[in-house]
Amino acid sequence: MIKIFPPVAEAQISSLKIFDRLVISGPILAGRDAALPRLVRLVAENRLAETGLDLRGAVIFHTAVSPAGIGPTSSNKEEIENSIPALSRAGVKIHLGKGSLHPETVASLCEHGAIFAVTPPVSALLTSKIRARRVAAFPEEGMEALYLLEVAELPAIVAAAHGQSVFNLNGAKNPAPKGGERQ
Amino acid sequence: MTLSRPEIAAKVAEAVITASTTFRPDQKEAYQRAVLCEEKPEARWVLETILENARVAEEKRLPLCDDTGIPHLFLEVGDEAVLPPGFFAAVQEGVREGLRRLPGRPMAVLGEGLQRIDQSGGLSGDSGDVLPAPVQIQNIPGKKVRLTVLLLGGGPEIRGKTQRVFHHHSGEVVLAEMVRWAKEGVARLGCLPGVLAFGIGRTNLEAAVLAVEALKDGDFTVQSALEQQITRAVNESGIGPLGLGGSATVLATFLKIGPQRASGVRIVSLRAGCCFDPRRASVVF
Repeated sequence: MIKIFPPVAEAQISSLKIFDRLVISGPILAGRDAALPRLVRLVAENRLAETGLDLRGAVIFHTAVSPAGIGPTSSNKEEIENSIPALSRAGVKIHLGKGSLHPETVASLCEHGAIFAVTPPVSALLTSKIRARRVAAFPEEGMEALYLLEVAELPAIVAAAHGQSVFNLNGAKNPAPKGGERQ
Repeated sequence: MTLSRPEIAAKVAEAVITASTTFRPDQKEAYQRAVLCEEKPEARWVLETILENARVAEEKRLPLCDDTGIPHLFLEVGDEAVLPPGFFAAVQEGVREGLRRLPGRPMAVLGEGLQRIDQSGGLSGDSGDVLPAPVQIQNIPGKKVRLTVLLLGGGPEIRGKTQRVFHHHSGEVVLAEMVRWAKEGVARLGCLPGVLAFGIGRTNLEAAVLAVEALKDGDFTVQSALEQQITRAVNESGIGPLGLGGSATVLATFLKIGPQRASGVRIVSLRAGCCFDPRRASVVF
């Protein structure tokens, strides 16, 4: 079990490999379909400072935050997966969600020194790991706003790192994603 | 039926909460069996974590999954039963109350027309504003009325589809296509091990309703030869729990074959269900 305390250092990312079990404690960002493309736009327009956030070494959990709790949403939804390269370039080190990523996304993680980890959608357990929460940006998106959470020992497994992906290992037997299809 | 409207609503609200927070015995048994068969340690960890989540959810009455789903209602009305005035309004009120108490995810989209599509009008903060899908009604013998609440999460909606299959007068052709769809769907789903629900009908609506009916009636411990054949074929993919690889990609298949029309085409509907499906509970009036 490898302990992660964000912000995550580059050296720690270099040492991680697929199937490593992680427990994450400290501040993490939480966002999904609505918030992540808006965050990417803020970065592109050089306006991240308006949020007071620093993405260097950050962990972003692909989840809604609502009274029903937290739990990973499918990271391969178009708006989420498309945000991964730009946010990795901006310094995000761990993207946390669920579902397989396209090979080009796995390659872009590698290029920017970031990894993808997955966690089971076990909301009753995951929600009990939250120590504090606040809206960090886009409050008008409701449960899809960008949140800053303080978590204690959130469990995860590394699913893509350094160009390798657990999803490729099933490769030959898995149907390959169709070109350009992002569901 | 002699129940008052508030009594009906209270029972329906309870069913919503139970559906969202509880694994049924057949579901637990399927997981326990999968843990025993799974050789990969990380896959076993996922299965054990899902069981632990179910234990905590049931004990604390917390949602199994934060995507608390869209309520789908299945009403079975006995031939000799009489529904009191206001029955459907009471059911709607019960669903609303159940979602508020749960609490369900406040995910109802506000606004009209395109605004409701592009989500620019924002979301309702009220979990009770998540309206149920149209009620399906069936008749059964006897005096009883049974309402089943199913909560359908969003991930499987992305991975499911309803489409025609040219069968070439061979059941195996249709089965092979169903397995292909299922493998494609679960490979991208993430929330595994899942459960597959299939309906085969004459129209898109009929096939989709049959798939939901299969979820309403399905039992993990009672599997037909056809259902087992589909489960085995999909598990050969080795996608495994959470997509980490392993033998438990789907735990079961629930299949309903409805009436068919003379034609070279069958309409097949798939819901590639997640690791909590089917979240359901029934109330008998």
